[in-house]
Amino acid sequence: MAPDTAIAVADHVDAEDIPEKRQHPARVTLRRLLHHRLFLLGGGLCLIVVLLAVLAPVITTVSPYKLSMRNKFTPPGTDFVFGTDNFGRSLWSRVVWGAQLSMFIGGAVVLINAVFGTAIGAAAGYFRRLDNLLMRFNDALMAFPAVLLAIAVTAVLGPSVNDVIIALGIVYTPRTARIVRASVLVLREMEYVQAAVAAGAGHWRILRRHILPNAMAPLIVQLSFLFAYAVLTEATLSFLGVGAVPPTPTWGNIMAEGRQYMIDAPWIITIPGAALMVTVLGLNLLGDGLRDVLDPRLRVQQ
Amino acid sequence: MGAILLRRLASAVPILAIVSILTFGMIHLIPGDPAAAIAGLSATPEQIANIRRDLGLDQPLMSQLIHWYGNLFQGDLGRSLLLGQPVVEATMQRLPVTVALSAYALVITLVIGLVTGIVAALRQNTWIDQVAMILAMIGISLPNFYLGLLMIILFAVQLRWLPTGGYVAFTDDPLGWLATSTMPAISLALLLAGLLARITRSTMLEVLRQDYIRTARAKGLPSRKVVVKHALANAMIPITTVIGIIVSLLISGSVVTETLFSIPGIGQLLTQAVLNRDYPMVQGGLLITTALLVLVNIAVDVCYALLDPRVRYDGA
Amino acid sequence: MRRGFLTSAGVLAGLILAVGPANAERFKCPHTGGNLVFGQEANINTLDQMTSATISTRNIAMNIYESLMTRDENNHPILELADSMTESPDHLTYTFKLRKPIHFHNGKLMTSADVVASFDRYAKVGNQRSILNNVKDWDAPDADTFVIHMKSPQPTFIEALSSFSVPIVIIPSELKDTPAQQLTNPIGTGPFQLVESVPGSHVKLKRYEGYSPNTSFNERTGFGGYKQACLDTVTFRIVTEPGARVAGLRTGELQGVEDLPAKSLPDLKGDKNIKILPLKNWWIQIASPNTSTAPTDNLMFRKAVQAALDMDEIMDAASDGNYTLNVGFQYPNQPDYTDAGKETYNIKDPALAKKYLAQSGYAGEPVVLLTNKDYPPMYNSALVMQQQLQAVGINAQMKVVDWPTSVQLSQKEGPGWNFFFTGWGTQPALGALATMQFLASPNATYRPKDDKGDPDLEAAWKDMNTLPTAEGRHEAFARMQKIVLERVYALPFGSFTKVQGVRANVDGFVPYRIPRMSNVWMTN
Repeated sequence: MAPDTAIAVADHVDAEDIPEKRQHPARVTLRRLLHHRLFLLGGGLCLIVVLLAVLAPVITTVSPYKLSMRNKFTPPGTDFVFGTDNFGRSLWSRVVWGAQLSMFIGGAVVLINAVFGTAIGAAAGYFRRLDNLLMRFNDALMAFPAVLLAIAVTAVLGPSVNDVIIALGIVYTPRTARIVRASVLVLREMEYVQAAVAAGAGHWRILRRHILPNAMAPLIVQLSFLFAYAVLTEATLSFLGVGAVPPTPTWGNIMAEGRQYMIDAPWIITIPGAALMVTVLGLNLLGDGLRDVLDPRLRVQQ
Repeated sequence: MGAILLRRLASAVPILAIVSILTFGMIHLIPGDPAAAIAGLSATPEQIANIRRDLGLDQPLMSQLIHWYGNLFQGDLGRSLLLGQPVVEATMQRLPVTVALSAYALVITLVIGLVTGIVAALRQNTWIDQVAMILAMIGISLPNFYLGLLMIILFAVQLRWLPTGGYVAFTDDPLGWLATSTMPAISLALLLAGLLARITRSTMLEVLRQDYIRTARAKGLPSRKVVVKHALANAMIPITTVIGIIVSLLISGSVVTETLFSIPGIGQLLTQAVLNRDYPMVQGGLLITTALLVLVNIAVDVCYALLDPRVRYDGA
Repeated sequence: MRRGFLTSAGVLAGLILAVGPANAERFKCPHTGGNLVFGQEANINTLDQMTSATISTRNIAMNIYESLMTRDENNHPILELADSMTESPDHLTYTFKLRKPIHFHNGKLMTSADVVASFDRYAKVGNQRSILNNVKDWDAPDADTFVIHMKSPQPTFIEALSSFSVPIVIIPSELKDTPAQQLTNPIGTGPFQLVESVPGSHVKLKRYEGYSPNTSFNERTGFGGYKQACLDTVTFRIVTEPGARVAGLRTGELQGVEDLPAKSLPDLKGDKNIKILPLKNWWIQIASPNTSTAPTDNLMFRKAVQAALDMDEIMDAASDGNYTLNVGFQYPNQPDYTDAGKETYNIKDPALAKKYLAQSGYAGEPVVLLTNKDYPPMYNSALVMQQQLQAVGINAQMKVVDWPTSVQLSQKEGPGWNFFFTGWGTQPALGALATMQFLASPNATYRPKDDKGDPDLEAAWKDMNTLPTAEGRHEAFARMQKIVLERVYALPFGSFTKVQGVRANVDGFVPYRIPRMSNVWMTN
């Protein structure tokens, strides 16, 4: 399932009351992040997954697609660290390459959101005449249950990795746009922005110089959680059989194929499931840390 | 208040109009022949062609569209291609199942989420707080289909405490309902409970820091009483919003959970409808479901306005 | 003796007499009562049997409905709601005398008017209404007589009429105007009647107390025979998850299930509370070439593919080990069976494949294996076939879509796909005639250019349908199968075993094309 609208919830934790000296803001941010234990834990987990993803060609010896009927249903052990599936494919290879796909899909969805979510949100928040139109459309897209919308869109587009990325982009961009719009709505009423307007600065300049940089913090926090949701929803789609086409080794696909053997060969689902969980946990911790440190509301309060 | 309600209801109309147009376009863009889906395995081309003709699927798209909207304005959402029953009837048959399951999951979410959140806030920075928040974090990171599978393996296959799937209506057999609904409800609820616990904790902490609570405490009021009377009452406002979100998440989550546990609810109905290209069912079913979600959101907004007199809706 | 094709009333009458009324040893429920819950694999969408071709519908509906004629245990046509049938000497008239008294589940007495109404509805919305293409009309001279008039003699008519693919079930006349798919409250004459149907969850049936069994038989046979409902109720519960079916059978939550996964069988066999009942030859796993596009339009190339395949490996993956190697389109226990063309089957000779490949002039063009993820056997066989083709130097690529899309794509001529993966279950069970229609124009599955089938094949098909003698028609089938295999118009991989299972206290359950609930009883 997709915790879709959850990302719109401001679930802010209490700030650590560290007295600040006058320092460069970026430095302060970095120092606070490095002092945030859970952020470091999340970062560590994510780093492991990213390393697996990047090193996949090096650390696996067998292709994740290589069938070997003789070895089917080998439990985890010395021959196959993670065991094999019903085709005798190495689950180690499949899970590691799955990490690569998860990271790629999550990253691409984040990129789509960063670009289109910002553009739509900024346009709606800044140009009041566009607001109604854009936000009605946005609301309509958000009114669909997220997983169903993703299923329908992948059904339309086709079952390749790229199509899944586009589908997830369509599902999540309205949510990002809404958050950006909220920040922009507040920022455009700020005195320094009004001053820039009075001084005759162009819209583009105002947006680029005065508004967007200040809307970045909530966006970055949103995107870090979005990464987690994208990974999770992609796995859900694959698991339901509507994600990236098998035999592509996504974690959801591995679990979907292993589902009918869950009693007699449970490792086929438990291992990729655990990988998925650890990844999402890492990303969520990362997001938490970023939010604690970056959330402007907390900064304002201090 | 009445004017706000009316305005909010009116704003739902364009949303639903866009939803219906998007749905129609999307479902007809999906490749694949509904007749082939209905015919099933090893049907002959003749049989598939007969189904197509009998169900009017050989009509041009434009005339199907006009036909659908024409009927919609007369309050008729058509018939499911796959089930042969009216869309409204099929939806209404499934809706109580999803509502009952969601209600059960909501209760679990509220109990676990609120208790964990409040306890963590009161014991801020102790080991209780830390354990509670780590559990909440794990909760929000656990994919619900994975949790569901693990529970099936453990509780249904190994321990044999609960059935692996299926559904018994509460009105038929309350105990049977409890047995069939518990695992699905937990798998739906855990993620949301984690979410709610985190929000409850942070909201409570914010409220607890406020002056009047400090004053109350300073006046010597026992702290439990303070918490219950003041802090929780104030914390309920943001939490109401979250509950609204949780309700829509439950509907979305039911898609996976109902498929996994073979529960005949709305999520399973719509998933099957999309996968089988059951055009009228997808169009009508999604329209009804999104309308309900929009209504839930409006209800939450209204509650919010009632709870917090400062909030004034101007439609923004 | 070949009895696959009935030609005259004489043969048919003989068949019925052979099992005819005998007072001794008629089936009697050893134990009456009990509620059986059966775990069914696939969702049921409708119980409107006349308009549905799906196995899941038939599974349940055929315990509710009956027809004039059906098939027995060995797939021979038998009478069900009729006492007798006579064919006129000019082969243009079939006269049925109805059994009486028969009451529908709503208490109404069945008469020939209901049979007429049922045929009327079938002709309008019946999913396989082409059965009646050669029928001029039907009428009811009196309340117990129903007559079918043919346009021209059709030696295969009785075979078609008794088909259980989409049977012409008899419904009360007042339901005759119900549109296709919409007969949601089924009323039949069978031993069980509907209690409730909850789509996506379960269908519950109960014993029909007013049932009149067919006393021409002593035992249940096939879809017909002497049937008794020993159980109080039967609930078909939809359990799509194979693991959940296994678990349900183990815990006793389910008393019977269909389609037990092969991987779980060794464990289940050790369980004293469970009886494993394999149903051999459940379906034939098939890949159909697309002969309207390169390189599969080239016979030499198709022969190369044929030579490369190792059927054991493919079937093993497709069925997890529950299969039988099988030549052609019928099974050895069937009257129509022939092994004509067996030299082409399971060659597994990569060297020969490479030789054919060289002769075909193949230059590495992509070869698209069109399969789906909804039916794991089809997906699995495509995956293994891809690997085997790649091993001989064929650039085989998978195109995995969902079932409705793959059917739609496979019906298109021209590029886009080269092999379509499917399975034939009901038709091979019904006989050669039902099966080979897949390979004849129009709509031949090998997708000949402009839908113009191979003339030799079309000629054999015509003979199969029209030759007056059963021997002649059988010879035509053997000829047709040989052509199909030698010219590689289809690649039948082998046959599946569908394993069913019941709890040890369930007796009388014999796996068949549907889970038959009559003459099944439970102890304690």
